[in-house]
Amino acid sequence: MSSGRTRAGGTKRNRLSSSSHSRIRCKRLAPSLESDQPSWPETWLSWLSFVTDSANPPFTPEKALSKHGEKQNNILEGHMRLPPFQYIEPANVEEALSIISTHRETVKIMAGGTDLVNRMKLRLIEPAFVMNIGKVRSMDDIDIGDTETVIGANTRLREIAGAPLVNKRFRAIAEAAFQVASPAITNMATVGGNILQNTRCMYYDQSGMVLNGLERCRKRGGTVCLAVKGGKRCFSVYQGDMAPALIAFDARCVLEKKGSTRTVSLTELFTGNGAAPFALEADELLTKIIIPNPEGIYSSAYRKLRLRGSTDYPLASAAALVSVTDDRKVTTCRVVIGAAGAAPKVIDGTSCEANFEAIAQKAYELAEGVDNLQMPGAYRRKMVSVLARRATKAAIDGIKEGM
Amino acid sequence: MNELKKTAITLNVNNETYDMVAYPNRTLLEVLRDDLHLTGTKESCGEGVCGSCTVLVDGTPARSCLTLAVAVQGKEITTIEGLHQGEKLHPVQEAFVNHHAIQCGFCSPGMILTAYALLTENPNPTEEEIRRAISGNVCRCTGYAKIVEAVKSLAEKGR
Repeated sequence: MSSGRTRAGGTKRNRLSSSSHSRIRCKRLAPSLESDQPSWPETWLSWLSFVTDSANPPFTPEKALSKHGEKQNNILEGHMRLPPFQYIEPANVEEALSIISTHRETVKIMAGGTDLVNRMKLRLIEPAFVMNIGKVRSMDDIDIGDTETVIGANTRLREIAGAPLVNKRFRAIAEAAFQVASPAITNMATVGGNILQNTRCMYYDQSGMVLNGLERCRKRGGTVCLAVKGGKRCFSVYQGDMAPALIAFDARCVLEKKGSTRTVSLTELFTGNGAAPFALEADELLTKIIIPNPEGIYSSAYRKLRLRGSTDYPLASAAALVSVTDDRKVTTCRVVIGAAGAAPKVIDGTSCEANFEAIAQKAYELAEGVDNLQMPGAYRRKMVSVLARRATKAAIDGIKEGM
Repeated sequence: MNELKKTAITLNVNNETYDMVAYPNRTLLEVLRDDLHLTGTKESCGEGVCGSCTVLVDGTPARSCLTLAVAVQGKEITTIEGLHQGEKLHPVQEAFVNHHAIQCGFCSPGMILTAYALLTENPNPTEEEIRRAISGNVCRCTGYAKIVEAVKSLAEKGR
């Protein structure tokens, strides 16, 4: 067994595989890898080949690095490999805050990594530092109180989807978390990461192979929009699932930076500008989400449209919260539509009339349907209005069931 | 160009400890396949959709293509190579063989690990739970029916 492995590891390792980046020392692998001193004929031969073939010096890990690390001209060579960065792992929130206050724009924060790693693989971002906050324990619990519920930004989506109390009190939030993706992804992905995922567009979320052949769009710092001809702004779409559901409950988020903390409504976190979707300062960290417990009798629901039932971003979505008094008068009806622009949108500000047709009409008017996702814009816009109605109906049905 | 510094990484894979020096931009999948030569874990889409790179991190299925190797130090990683018991196949693997739940075999490591994690957590899953659990694993050959049957047979054994 070991001899076969040695051969594969020792000589056949070529430049296309990036394996030569690391040196391993382990019990299972062959002893020849363990001894650092090559035998004399090897030394002599390598010296000889260097002298005779100076144009082509012996292959070294450093050489592989320069090939791997530089901007890829040959796209296939760097395909789905990560760009170089330095890795930082803070032990607690304070340490994390001091790191981002030092490095600011050059550091990207990783929690589950399901969004960030993909964006780095596509070279949409190439941060100098990646800070993994996934192991900061103080940020990953759900605290259900009498007046409000606090969810740590690091809480895995699967925990939110699986918590019976969340499902009972905040059904839309549990439904949204459940529908984000398959269990393996929701095991890793966090609520904070889901909220702060960047806006998406078919003309932007592509590998270099595609983007190299396209004009630089507004999202990439250019001056044109490829999705809308002559578009004066960026039309990328915010495709997060959690934010619409949380906004339906009027959730707030806690943004911490070194020396200060602010709590803002989740709607204020969004700028509405696709090119820079978040009103978050470079040294701020999203640490908590606070959901006020709604008053009266209430229920909520989340509905989404996607291509694959298991793993896909929403192509249209809607969350609804309806609360009634004891004599069944509707006090609040908040409907939030998602994947319909660069930010989730609340119909009629804080609360609207619980009239299905009016909600569907307003959702249609509010939604932006641009042909920049996997389904046509006109269809997505219609589906936003359908889902807004369905979500509201499901919330009202939920109240009826509970009564 | 951004600076790259090698770091010492200690990984616990299939109950064995591996010490290595690697760049931090290496995913767990790359380290498992290229450095540890545990090629049972497959790479397909590389973006977390298909599930062929599934490994267990502390017993729960995770995408090794989206996981940085440096980030899973101190965690127990189980790959398909760590499932069999000596010369004998693991019961989940046996069930897959017996129910013809394998055709080309590319999705099988991920499928088997996902099924194993499901059965560890919930020894008696319903068909809906099985389908939900493997919903993140794409199989282009079997049409999933045989895979669900294989997992179901194990659930029934538990009864």
